[in-house]
Amino acid sequence: MSRFFRGGDDSSTDSSSEEEEVYTSEEEEEKVQAEDESSSEEESDEEESDEESSSDEEEGTKKKGASRFLQSDDESEEEEEEQSDDEATTKVKSAKDKRFDELESTISQIQNGQKINDWSLIANEFDKLNRQVVKLQDGSKAPKSYIKAIADLEDFMNETLAKQKVTPKKMNATNARGLNAVKQRIRKNNKEYQTQIDAYRKDADAFMESDDEVAAPKVVSKVRFEAPVVSAEQQEEDDKGFSTVDSRGKVVQYTPESILKHLRAIIESRGKKNTDRLEQIKVMETLNKVVPITPYQKIRVLQTLISARFDLGAGGAAQMPLDQWKAAERDLASLLEILEKEKDHVVVEGAEEWDDDDKLPTIPEGEKYLKVPGSVVSLIERLDDELTRSLQAIDPHTSEYIDRLTDEGSLYNTIFRGLLYYEHLRKDASLEVPQESLNRIIQRRLDHVYYKPAQVVKILEENAWKQVSAEADSEITPRSQSGDAGKLINILSNYLFENSEGIIRARAMLCQIYFLALHDEYYKSRDLMLTSHLQETIANFDIATQILYNRTLVQVGLCAFRKGLVYDAQNTLQEICGSGRQKELLAQGVMIQRYSQVTPEQERLEKQRQLPFHMHINLELLECVYLTCSMLLEIPLLAQTGSSPDVKKRIISKTYRRMLEYHERQIFTGPPENTRDHVMQASKALAAGEWKKATDFIHSIKIWDLMPNTEGIKTMLAKQIQEEGLRTYLFTYAPFYDTLAIATLSSMFELDSRKVSAVVSKMISHEELAAALDQVTETVIFRKGVELSRLQSLALTLSDKASSLIETNERTLEQKTQGSANAFSRKDNRGGGQRGGGQRGGRGGARTGGNPQRQAGGTQFTGGALGNAVRG
Amino acid sequence: MAEVQKDAPIKSVQVEALVVMKIVKHCSTSFPTVATGSIVGMDNNGAIEVTNSFQFPSVDVSSSDSHSDASSLAAAAPRAKANIVYQNEMIRHLKEVNVDANNVGWYTSATMGNFINMSFIENQYHYQKENEKTVALVHDVSRSSQGALSLRAFKLSPEFMTAYKEAKFTTESLRNSKLTYKDIFVELPVNVHNSHLLTSFLHQIPAPPKSAEIPMPASLDDIRRDPVQIPAHPGFESLDLSIDPFLEKTCDLLLDSIESHYTDLNNHQYYQRQLTREQFKITQWQAKRKAENAARLAAKQSPLPEDEWQRLFKLPQEPSRLEGMLNARQVDQYARQVDAFTANITAKMFAVRGNLLPE
Repeated sequence: MSRFFRGGDDSSTDSSSEEEEVYTSEEEEEKVQAEDESSSEEESDEEESDEESSSDEEEGTKKKGASRFLQSDDESEEEEEEQSDDEATTKVKSAKDKRFDELESTISQIQNGQKINDWSLIANEFDKLNRQVVKLQDGSKAPKSYIKAIADLEDFMNETLAKQKVTPKKMNATNARGLNAVKQRIRKNNKEYQTQIDAYRKDADAFMESDDEVAAPKVVSKVRFEAPVVSAEQQEEDDKGFSTVDSRGKVVQYTPESILKHLRAIIESRGKKNTDRLEQIKVMETLNKVVPITPYQKIRVLQTLISARFDLGAGGAAQMPLDQWKAAERDLASLLEILEKEKDHVVVEGAEEWDDDDKLPTIPEGEKYLKVPGSVVSLIERLDDELTRSLQAIDPHTSEYIDRLTDEGSLYNTIFRGLLYYEHLRKDASLEVPQESLNRIIQRRLDHVYYKPAQVVKILEENAWKQVSAEADSEITPRSQSGDAGKLINILSNYLFENSEGIIRARAMLCQIYFLALHDEYYKSRDLMLTSHLQETIANFDIATQILYNRTLVQVGLCAFRKGLVYDAQNTLQEICGSGRQKELLAQGVMIQRYSQVTPEQERLEKQRQLPFHMHINLELLECVYLTCSMLLEIPLLAQTGSSPDVKKRIISKTYRRMLEYHERQIFTGPPENTRDHVMQASKALAAGEWKKATDFIHSIKIWDLMPNTEGIKTMLAKQIQEEGLRTYLFTYAPFYDTLAIATLSSMFELDSRKVSAVVSKMISHEELAAALDQVTETVIFRKGVELSRLQSLALTLSDKASSLIETNERTLEQKTQGSANAFSRKDNRGGGQRGGGQRGGRGGARTGGNPQRQAGGTQFTGGALGNAVRG
Repeated sequence: MAEVQKDAPIKSVQVEALVVMKIVKHCSTSFPTVATGSIVGMDNNGAIEVTNSFQFPSVDVSSSDSHSDASSLAAAAPRAKANIVYQNEMIRHLKEVNVDANNVGWYTSATMGNFINMSFIENQYHYQKENEKTVALVHDVSRSSQGALSLRAFKLSPEFMTAYKEAKFTTESLRNSKLTYKDIFVELPVNVHNSHLLTSFLHQIPAPPKSAEIPMPASLDDIRRDPVQIPAHPGFESLDLSIDPFLEKTCDLLLDSIESHYTDLNNHQYYQRQLTREQFKITQWQAKRKAENAARLAAKQSPLPEDEWQRLFKLPQEPSRLEGMLNARQVDQYARQVDAFTANITAKMFAVRGNLLPE
């Protein structure tokens, strides 16, 4: 189970010199096993190791790769040497004996080197020694003299290192280099022979004399051929033959009495350099297994254990390892279980630390509870965050992701139990559990359900309720209500809304809106969105909330689209989709910023913010909906403004216009390939009045299948296209008709004649169409010559410009006269025609002091004579 | 007598019909490119008599050059070196054939009165600085094509001349000299003069009969009852009410002017911002220097000079207001043009309405 960390640890120990001393032989021994396991399991567990190595970022994998190469290198070298040896042999000696002699001589060389402290010599000889010993090994057993040599060497090296630390005198460069080389190699090397070294160290003479060389390596070989999955129990079994030993080789005994002392030692070393977290976790696991008698101890051990596990993931961007997460989740569950069972122990924030070194704390007299400092909600939050982080890192298109996602269920259960626990705590006012903790845990729960369909929420809830005992019930979310997801969300968000403020409140609202929109409650969600007034204040919130806001907005837009409310949908989506930065705004991917420099720090933050894949809103679907809505609105608008080019052009969606222009510039248009092509070709067809073709194009978009009720959407779209097609046709061809029978239109667009007259009437009443409806003959009669002439439109533009010029002049004058509006008495001057250039020469006009009452005169200005003329 | 004549300011311009024809011909053939030429004549007691004209040689613009280059080249022709030489040569030749050989200015073509720009000012200044009594004739091709000949004569006002000589068009100088856009040009009345011979010839041109062949009257009564129809002159064209194209064009031009005005405005605002920033810096510096000096004084040291800021800081150059002035003049020109034109049209409208009203 620890093999993967070993990779990471290895690298750290290799690179840092000080860590050598803190290594315990016990742990190293385990490492040997672990390594062996890993080698035997490598193939069967490839998936898992992949995952882990990816979690360790590249560092781990690189290391692995490098060591692999090293190994093969060694092998080839060794072969070479073998050949040369064979050639050189002249004495008649068994090959084995000869090699033993060589080995002995090398060892004596090393010993000489030790005597004179010549590390470069030792380094060379040590290399040689290692090469020689490979050939001499039978099975996994190395010669005893070799073991002795390397054990001594290691001791000597440690000694030297220690000495070097105290003495200020420096070694010379070559020596130091040699020392470093040996140090690194020894560490790698000795791991392989750890068991033997241990045996040697325990009793040097006995080891050297003992003939049977079976006992020690047995463990290794046993593990080596073990079944691929080694569970914790098996591990324990393996450990049985050995007693736990601390770094100095002393046997460590864990007893219930000493447990808290150990714990304290661990807590104190937490966060310090050179502490091996994995080792601590292991110690604590043992502690947890062996001892806890009192609930207090149990709680303390579990708390520390969980935090220690979280510490593993704390460094850098790497997320927590999977098994650690699972273990943490398990521990958290058991912690909650204990807390539920032992009602007189409570974990509260801000409780005083107990002085528990000597005696176990007991419940103080006159109080009901034994308060243990700590925060369950923080642990739960951390667990949740870690899951999100690991989901962010996993490729969402693998089965691994789905596997990981199943953990969400158990997480949800934990959250739920945490909630129950806090509710329980809240019942007792004397504990003064802050409202905030409860809010936080409810927020977490809400975060886990708001984006899910009702059925999924229901299953989650059922599982959660199954976990807790039958009589347990929640006050906030009673068992009876939990079946209905909508009600649950409502209750949760209402609770948060009533009992919290600021961001949590906003988030609660947004979650509720999101859920409503997801479940096709458009009007409810829209009304909630509008009454929340979040659109005005959202810029002041933190980025995560802004992302949630964007997501909610998009979801409301999609909901409107499903309801067939094209205009609303387009309006709602405009803000997000019109920007062209959907990915960023919805936190579903990082945009590559071409022109701006992003610091790695920013990039990391950005990456952290990303939502895990299962929460994503399909961007292609989003784009498709947005473009379709834009098409339905823009094409009639284009047809309307097309006839009068000088009218100020209204543009609904710039993005869409740009795409359309681009599409029109293409000389050859092939059959549509992607969503965008489909919509663009449909737009073209619609603009030409070929509504059937447009419908075909739109219907052939595959992404609609992702929408619930695909057929319904398609019929809705077809209807919309028919209507907009009719409007487009009328806009485009109205100038060529005097009258037009409704029957013709209705056959042309296959619409009900009532519908046609409804559309026409609407257009007439909105003054989009200069026509009248003759109900007797069922015809549309067009009026002629009502549109603005070019001169008229030019005159309008001119008057606009002129009035803005006058305003500018007014402002300038206001500035120059410093608000003393009397300098420019309008009443007398009205007829005088104050042309723009009139004041050019100078400031003109008498300045008769500031009149405070008329200070705000500028705002009342109507533009003078010219202004009146223009406006009138 | 002659002395007095020389000092008398120009009051009017008298243009020979021949010159008018030549100018119209030149301008309309080169339309829409600007056409320029030189005019010769003499000053007669405050009235300039323009008796002849010749066009500046058109430079062959290579095909790679764009059209606007040809236009700007032509506009800049009067003050181009080569053309000055050409003009002097030409005048010498004219003298040899005993034509009036005094240069009295230049002419240019215009479209809808859009002639007021830097180029025009420079040209006129070029002539006027040499000889006070020179004018610029402006022939508006577009307006002439509407029926009535549009030929106007301008010269720069003396105030503007002095201001331009100093090239000072800052706000302050403008305020002191009270120079406004109205004072850039002086317009002179233009008379077209025909020689007596020409006048008599014109009078003798017979009106063409209405149809090629007039049917012979059958009797004397016929002649009395139905006299020969003399065609109505100048026709119904003068009653044309098509005002739209003209107004549209003017609108376009006005919009252009407003655009350029905005550009000018922006420049100026930029300048002002820059200025306030610099001034703020200077005051800061001064305050700092003062505090420093106070400190030095307390420490019995000689104070540092306080006028170093003039060396340290450089105030931004105020952009010339000339462009803005010209633009304003141009807008004024357009406005007047519209005014004049619509007055004409309105009169016609009233005439029509008066006819339609029931009596």
